[in-house]
Amino acid sequence: MLESDLTSAVTLLKHLQEQVMAVTAQIQALTKKVQARAYPTEKGLSLLEVKDQLLLMYLMDLTHLILDKASGGSLQGHAAVLRLVEIRTVLEKLRPLDQKLKYQVDKLVKTAATGSLSENDPLRFKPHPCNMMSKLSSEDEEEDEAEEGQSEASGKKSAKGTVKKYVPPRLVPVHYDETEAEREKKRLERAKKRALSSSVIRELKEQYSDAPEEIRDAWHPHVTRQSQEDQHRINYEESMMVRLSVSKREKGRRKRASVMSSQLHSLTHFSDISALTGGTPHLDEDQNPVKKRKKIPKKGRKKKGFRRRR
Amino acid sequence: MNDTVTIQTRKFMTNGLLQLKQMVTDVLQLGKATVPKTEVQEKLAKMYKTTPDVIFGFGLRTHFGGGKTSGFDTSVDYAKKNEPKHRLARHGPYEKKKTSRKQLKEHKNRMNKVRGTAKANVGAGKKK
Repeated sequence: MLESDLTSAVTLLKHLQEQVMAVTAQIQALTKKVQARAYPTEKGLSLLEVKDQLLLMYLMDLTHLILDKASGGSLQGHAAVLRLVEIRTVLEKLRPLDQKLKYQVDKLVKTAATGSLSENDPLRFKPHPCNMMSKLSSEDEEEDEAEEGQSEASGKKSAKGTVKKYVPPRLVPVHYDETEAEREKKRLERAKKRALSSSVIRELKEQYSDAPEEIRDAWHPHVTRQSQEDQHRINYEESMMVRLSVSKREKGRRKRASVMSSQLHSLTHFSDISALTGGTPHLDEDQNPVKKRKKIPKKGRKKKGFRRRR
Repeated sequence: MNDTVTIQTRKFMTNGLLQLKQMVTDVLQLGKATVPKTEVQEKLAKMYKTTPDVIFGFGLRTHFGGGKTSGFDTSVDYAKKNEPKHRLARHGPYEKKKTSRKQLKEHKNRMNKVRGTAKANVGAGKKK
């Protein structure tokens, strides 16, 4: 039994010798390179430096142990064992950190290998403020759009907020139950609101408030009935390629609409603020009175030679 | 202020039924009076590379304040057959008969008094 073991032991020892010689050659080459500063590590990741220092210490202790064991000593209570255990635990603790840095390390390695960032790298699509056009220059908005498109293509740099689900409004028919008193109250409320936004009250507010004066130069937002009719007329004329005649009534209406919206009219026109002061309401010429109009006597209609005014 | 007259066309359509092309014309004349129809005709002929006598303009109205005029134009490609007579008369080839309305009515009334082929001879009554 011992002879077979002997032969296998001898072959194993021979293998060991060869391997040891190969390893020593490699290590000598490495040490020469390190001593010639071929691997500068000042700018590298500190974690990796710590790791390879630890690994080196581990190896040294291990070789020390092997040496002792090979020369016949025992491992019981050997100081190197304790050191090995300590280094081993530290390495185990470093492993999750290593996992976390895996992405960065891989990327750095790839960058070092290829020399530049890869095409799918999301960091390529981050916004570069130096490349963007300033808002002050109105030309070339396409560049901004191209950047936006690219940044949206990557998932990582999109700045979308949480998308809320669309909830349609719930409209429930309500029973109409308005009494005369409620109607009166509503009318009063509406009159109050109108009075609050009238020119008199607004000027008072401006006088006593500290806010700066606002000057608005906007287009007239109210699309009046007359302007809508005008637009309709223009559309019809252009599509049918005809010119429509304007009746006297229509001309009067147009003139009235233009006079209404002219600025000079509002100089002497003060809206009704009796809803706030509690006095009697006074009406303008353009507002219809609440009372019914008196019936016009029909005698005037049947005049001889009456011409219907269109 | 530039003194050139700019013409823009909108709603261009080839009207297959009437065999003509129709469009809405916008004339921009800043600081000038309203451009006459003939000038619009010439400019459009240059734009569409035809002769000016196949282009008929009508309905030119200047907007309030001046500066812009809108109107309609038809461009006839074929032998002017579907264009109304008054427009043809405006631009040249057609000449309207000059008999007055009163004469026509009198002639008709004289014809009404006679029956049959004698109506053709009633024209003699006019020369009285």
